Order: sequence, then C-alpha cells, then structure tokens
Amino acid sequence: MTQLPQASSQADQTLSRNMTLLAHHELGGFGGLGEGMGLQITKTGRRIMWLAHESAPKNFSGVDVTDPKNPKLIVQTDLPHMQLRSNSLDVWGDILAVAYQTQTVGLKPAGVDLFDVSDPEHPKLLSHFDCSGPHSRGVHALWFVDGKYIHMSSGSGDFEPTHPLDDQFYRILDVSDPTNPVEAGRWWYPGTRVGDEAPPPPRHPKFDTGYRVHNSNVYPRQADRAYVGYIDGGAFVLDISDMKNIKVVSHWNHSPPLNGFIHTVLPLFDRNLWMVSDECVRDDGEDWPKLVWVIDSRDEKNPVSISTFPMPPVEVFSKRGGRYGAHNLHENLPVPGSFYSDTIIIGSFFNGGIRVFDTTDPYRVEEIAYYVPGAPKLSPAGAVQINDVYVDENAIVYGVDRFGGGLYILEMNI
Amino acid sequence: MNFKRDALASKIPVTIITGFLGSGKTTLISKLVRQPEMNRVALVINEVGEIGIDHDLVASSTENITLLSNGCICCSVRTDMQETLRDLFAKRSVGEIFDFDRIIIETTGLADPAPVLQTLVSDTLLEAQFRFDGLVTLVDAVNFPLLKDQQKEIVKQIAIADKVLLTKTDLIDSSSLEKVQSDIRKINGQAPIILVTQGQINPKELMSLGLSTSKSNEKILSFLGESPSEGKYLGQFIQAHDSEIKTLSLRFKEPFTWKAFSSALELLSNLRGPDLLRMKGIVNVDGKPVVVQGVQHIFHPPVYLNDWPSSDYDTRLVFITRNIEAETINTLFKTVRDLNH
Repeated sequence: MTQLPQASSQADQTLSRNMTLLAHHELGGFGGLGEGMGLQITKTGRRIMWLAHESAPKNFSGVDVTDPKNPKLIVQTDLPHMQLRSNSLDVWGDILAVAYQTQTVGLKPAGVDLFDVSDPEHPKLLSHFDCSGPHSRGVHALWFVDGKYIHMSSGSGDFEPTHPLDDQFYRILDVSDPTNPVEAGRWWYPGTRVGDEAPPPPRHPKFDTGYRVHNSNVYPRQADRAYVGYIDGGAFVLDISDMKNIKVVSHWNHSPPLNGFIHTVLPLFDRNLWMVSDECVRDDGEDWPKLVWVIDSRDEKNPVSISTFPMPPVEVFSKRGGRYGAHNLHENLPVPGSFYSDTIIIGSFFNGGIRVFDTTDPYRVEEIAYYVPGAPKLSPAGAVQINDVYVDENAIVYGVDRFGGGLYILEMNI
Repeated sequence: MNFKRDALASKIPVTIITGFLGSGKTTLISKLVRQPEMNRVALVINEVGEIGIDHDLVASSTENITLLSNGCICCSVRTDMQETLRDLFAKRSVGEIFDFDRIIIETTGLADPAPVLQTLVSDTLLEAQFRFDGLVTLVDAVNFPLLKDQQKEIVKQIAIADKVLLTKTDLIDSSSLEKVQSDIRKINGQAPIILVTQGQINPKELMSLGLSTSKSNEKILSFLGESPSEGKYLGQFIQAHDSEIKTLSLRFKEPFTWKAFSSALELLSNLRGPDLLRMKGIVNVDGKPVVVQGVQHIFHPPVYLNDWPSSDYDTRLVFITRNIEAETINTLFKTVRDLNH
C-alpha cells in the first residue's frame, strides 16, 4: 500500500481553505518584503499599497491596488547603501513614514524618513529624524495612524544599552509638523540602559533575542495607552497620558520557560482581550512553539492567558523549509482603508502562510481559513515565508513573502 | 465596520446522493469521478472498488482514501459515516490529504439519507465545519412507473430531494418520459429535474443546491423556491399533487418569536415527524429574517440572515408532507404564536 503524499509537507504545494488568490506580484524581481504595509487612499480614490522591503538594495515599493486583481508596481526606491534595511512603514493620509535600521551600530542613515506621497509615483522627502548613534542601529518598527505621533522601536544617539541586544526602546515622535519631527517621549525596560538604578534583566536561558521593542501600537480610542511587544521582555501596556513620564500599567510574559520574542500586542477593547503574537526567528521549528496568545485583560494588573490560536502540526510544517510559527497580525489599524474586526483575526505564519481565526469564543479559537502559497521561485528557504499581512476595509487580504515571493492578494470566503 | 463571520460561508458543503436500487448510482459515480470539475471534491462512497476507476486515473491510495489525478479524493466508508466524515476533516486539517472544498456522499443502499443528515446536525465537529448543500435523488425513468406504486421509499426520496436526476432517459420514448416527469412533479413540484443519459452529468449539477451564506442575496429566494423576477411567493407554481404527498405553502403575516415558532415546529415534528418529508422557509422572528430547513424530523440550525432578501417580510414556509393538510399546520402555528403573546 502506498502512502498518500502529505500535502502539507510538500512546500511546492499551495494549501488553501476558504481563501482564493486574486493576484500575485513579484515586484519586478525584488519580492523580498519586510513588515511594513500601509494602504493609502489618495484624494482621487486610487489605492496604493506601500511595502517596505526586508533588506537592501530596495527601500520601499508602491503598488497600485485600485483593482486588486490587477496590481501595478508604480514606484520602487533604493536604499543609499547595502548595510541598511527599511522593513517598516506606515501611511496616514498622504504622509508616508519609513523606518531605517542599519546592520551595525554607529552607521547612518538610521531613523525615520517622512515623505509626501500625494503624488504616489513621486514621493517627496519632507524630513529625516536621526536616531543614529554609537550604540544605535536606528528604527526597527514604527506605527503611525493618527497623523500626529509616530510610535516606534528605536535606538538613539544618547542611549547606551547595558547589553548590545537591548539597543531599541520605545520612542514617541511628534510629527504634527512633518517637516520637523521632535521626540515627545520615551520608555525603556528598566535595567537596559547604562546608568539605570535597576540591574540589567536576566538573559533568556536558551534564545537570547534581547530586551527590545518590536511593535508599539496606540489607538486613538484609547490614546493614553501604548501596547508594546518587548521581545524577550514580554508584553507591556504603558500609560502614555504624560509622554514625559510614561508608566507601566500591565506586564505579561510567557518566557522563560517558553522561547521569548513577544512581537505584537493587539487590544480588542470592547472584549477586554489582547491578541499577543510571538515571532518565530529560527528555521525548522527550532524555537517552537511560537504562537498567538489570547489574553484576558479585564484586570490590567493581572493579564491572564486563556488560550492560543490552533496551529497545524509543527512536525509537518517544520519540514517545509524556513521558519514556521507566528509573526505578524492584521492590527485593526484605525485608518479608513483598514479592516476592523474584534472577532476575526488574520495573521502571517511564515511557511504556515496566512491564517484566519474566529475568536468569538476566546477559550476555543477556531481556524476558519488559510492560504499557504507554494514555494516562490528561487526561495532560499525552499518554502514561502509570509512575513506580514494587511487586510483592507473590503476584507481583501494582502500578504508578503520575506525573500522573493512578493505580494499575494486574496479574498476570503468567511 | 466590525466584520463578523458569515454563519455558513466557511463551512464545507456536503451533497448527499440517494436513489433506489438500480437507479444508476454506480454508473453516475464512475463517470463523475473522471471529470475535471471534481478537483478538490471528496467523494464518499461504499467501496472504491465498486466504481471501477481506471488504474491510470489513480495518483495514489491508502487503505480507504484514493487520490485521483484530477484532484478528486475518493474515500470509502469504514465503520460508519460519522467517523468517516470526522476522519476526513481531521486528515485535511493536518495536511495528511490534499485540500478539498466540498463533499459528495453516495453510499449504495442509502435509501434513507436521514441518518447521514442527523449526523451532520448532531455531531458538534461536523455541524461546526460542514453544511448541508442539498439532496439529489436518482430516479430510474424506465422502472419508475411500476415502482412508484409499489415502493413508498422511492416516493419519499423524490419528495425530499432538492434536485432529481432522471436516469436511463434514452431508454424510453418521449411521451413516457413526459409522464414520468409529470408524476415526479406531483410528488415534488419544486425540485428541478435533470435528464441523464448513460450516467453523464456535469458535477456542477450536484453543487450549490443549499444555502451557502447568511448574507442576504437573491439566491436565497431561489433556495426557498421563490422567483424574484416573477415575483411569486413560495408555492404558487405548484399544481397537482400525489394522493398522499402534498406540497403545502403557508404564509403568516404576523411575526413570530423564536420560542413560538420553534415550539410549533417541535410539536409538529414530535407528532408527525415521519410524515414531514421536507420543509424550507423564511421566518420573521421579531422582525428579523431567519431561514429554516429540515428533512423529515431533522432540522438544521436556523440561519439568521443579515437582512431580508426582498421587500416581503412575511413568514413563508413550504412543507412536503404525507397526509397532512395545510390548514392543520396553519392552525397549529397560529395557535402557538397566539399562545405565546
């Protein structure tokens, strides 16, 4: 008797449930994309998906997705040198904010660029906010949804970490005048800055990825709270009502004993829940489990984990190639072109593709759709590595591959 | 906007094929499996060996699952249907078999589809992941005139069908064929009748017979047997009827509470379940539209639509019954509704 070929273990196979591919664009051969995705709706009604590249030589690309079945690459910019990556961006109105992170400390440009993209084919630089310094690599991830503040994970010229991996902390920029951004506030994990009273925090015993901010999300409906994934430091909710005197309101960490790297804290305000996503950073399941956690946040002082998103078996997916595990979520951006749901959560899972979950019962989250593209051509991982996902207000899903697969545009049947 | 999941859209549709012995099921299935439209369809049958699949059509196989080169997944029933369906879903979830987007069930000797339907409704996993997408009955055009008076099962299978496939139509003359179709319509005036020659049908004829979304649209009216373009309400086109089997169309202008409606339906089902062959309808529950359907005593979970599919906000129900009068059901529902005030 022959064995049936295991569909999920064959990385060349596309797997899908309740999702249909509308279009796929390889971005002119530069399909390696990071975790910066933002949808601009121009004054003339065009829809431009801005995408930050994962690594040099490209900086960011603009794809016209007015017709999601026929995406068109309209602009693609270059980084000034190869030891730099953008990786993160957001767009608010016609202002595009792009992050720059250098490969090693001390290099430039490290910080944030602000562009006027009212003419999307011709982005115009408005300003550069410099975050470089002898101990800084610049900005890893930023959040810009209100036209006034950028919340970001950043180093600074005046910040010396106690451990080299702890070089990016939470910074807030006031960009109400986009030609002149100024710092409005900052917070770092106690003990991670030279000169702190608190001792440096203990390193993770197995996978030391650092006490460093990844995503820092602030929503206008709760503008006094920042929801921060602090990598090995865990999940934080910060009171930013006084940006010069930021305080910790909540803290939750599953590591150790788990494998660290808390990436995103997505609050569902009306349900008193957070969706907390890890990031998988090792290949072949080495740092499994990397999951999405459901946290009951009714008591700010005592957040409690009540379930995790169900995932297909690591025994199968870890053999597909590359990374397998959680990473980014669609974060219900409070902007016109964004999908909003307090029950349906969509995430990117590297070779697990794009997966859609119904959290109506938060104790028993249900997977209701997925799309795992077959391995992109010449993929160094041998499998797709969906790095990020964005869903628009029409429930069209945009997913990007980390290495070369480019942009996937999908429809859900849910 | 706060996007909520559609109650039905993400569920895997399940079509059930039934038919009396000799109605041509084996021939139909053996032709069906070869079609390219059967890609990503799981076909659940008694024995894969029975349908004589060419060796060169088989991509790979294991104990009870055969993957065909056109993407069709043939699965034979092991212990029982419930376990087979659960197993199919579990294997799909973990990637042990290729993805399928729908299931067609045809089991030889399945004279009564009620147990399969009961399984779909009562098993928690199956109810959450699958939805009933229609019942297709095969009828042998040649032998039907003789069998319909001798075999109550055949009449019942036709009465509960969403679609009737009339087989062996090349073996009778046209006037006999017309008489057969007319007799079938007396039993079930709603189900379309498709003429089949030598088992050849387009797989799409077996699909999308059921309610696929809770988002209001015109297709819901078709599902309920209404024609939006003609403006008819349920049942106006139904004409003559079989002596025992009747299609009853009922309309209620006043809304129900769910308690009243479900109590009435439960009472009717308790007292006359075996004679309630099929029902479908749209119910005005406190002003909101709810689609209901059942086969015999098995009722599917009600589907709350997001909006009314048309400007008609009355409750409209169609029953196919054996020896039950419309007035009886009418009175029952009205009385229970009034009691609940």
